[in-house]
Amino acid sequence: MERLPRGRHGLSPEFVAQNQRERLIAGLTDALYEVGYQNTTVSLIGQRASVSKSDFYKHFGSKDDCFFAAYEAAIERIRGQVREACAKHPPGEWPPRMRDGISSLLTLLAGDPALASLSLVEGLRAGRGVYDRYQTAVESFVPYLRNGAPMPPSGGIVPRATDEAVVGGIASLLGRRVLAGEAEQIDELLPDVLEFALTPYLGATEARRIISAG
Amino acid sequence: MNAMAELCAEQGYEATKIADIVRCAGVARKTLYDNFDGKEEVFLATFDNAVNEAFGRIDEACEAAENEWDDRVAAGLRAFLLYIAENPATARTCLIEAMSATPAASARYDDALQRFVALLRRHAPADVGLPDTIEETLVGGVAWILHQQIRRGGAEQALDLTPELLDFLLAPYHGVAKLRP
Repeated sequence: MERLPRGRHGLSPEFVAQNQRERLIAGLTDALYEVGYQNTTVSLIGQRASVSKSDFYKHFGSKDDCFFAAYEAAIERIRGQVREACAKHPPGEWPPRMRDGISSLLTLLAGDPALASLSLVEGLRAGRGVYDRYQTAVESFVPYLRNGAPMPPSGGIVPRATDEAVVGGIASLLGRRVLAGEAEQIDELLPDVLEFALTPYLGATEARRIISAG
Repeated sequence: MNAMAELCAEQGYEATKIADIVRCAGVARKTLYDNFDGKEEVFLATFDNAVNEAFGRIDEACEAAENEWDDRVAAGLRAFLLYIAENPATARTCLIEAMSATPAASARYDDALQRFVALLRRHAPADVGLPDTIEETLVGGVAWILHQQIRRGGAEQALDLTPELLDFLLAPYHGVAKLRP
């Protein structure tokens, strides 16, 4: 993010504060991606954001506070993207909704590896307080899968644990790719992830047909 | 190492001090330092020990199972869930605390996850046209459900998850098997 001009600039204090806060969040996100949670210090965040250490503490009580804010912002961004992609299709059109939802998720993450790393890797590593947020964040994607999901062809209903395992499994796979330094290729996983997500609900035959139809 | 597992499960790695470990284990500080360099060393040894024991049990169960691949996967899963049920503190420490305790611990956790992926690949049918990533997503999904179960304090009841987890693990392979003539 660009820093604001120095000196008299006619910008309101609220605007400056908001801009600083956003820069700090972006600074932390970049620093985490480059050096990991343990090595990301308040000084480094300030340096990346071009915000002084004392200004940092006007916005956040600690590195963790800043981390939580960045984490929530990251998840909100991802969820917003998925929500928007899903909203293009009525609930009855479940398979195309899944395709667009998953595709938008993978495209966003591939285009922004620092965002992918913050949401999928660092969220697991930064300690207890963050893991709760990771868990809540991953769970918040379950309704996108569940809403309008058809009954499986084998009869019965898909157990709730399956919904959760599908979402958790996707998060785990993507996290592993980010860790392997392959965040930018995450979008190539679309057919795999889509097949994994569709199969429990549609059966293998129908899932295959949809994926090969492109 | 038992003390480490108990304390971490209860209060987390961060809050667990060397003083707590020696008190809980009933050993002298010096004894601990004779055997380990420090807290992280104790943690990593606890982790490695538990993973090796769990894998020993899983391998044994797979070997003892019927010849069909899905019987072996079922036996392995049951052995793993039984290990969790019998060692709830160790399970919490290794499945949850290890992810974030220290960078070395997270690396071990990832290695252990990879061992499960390799294990499933070894037993599950190959070349059936499933995505190459199927074992990774399946293992990740099972780990996710186990995390939730353990965090809810349900490690002792882990075996209750057997039917759902087994169905989740086997369904993709069974699904494509039906596609073949």
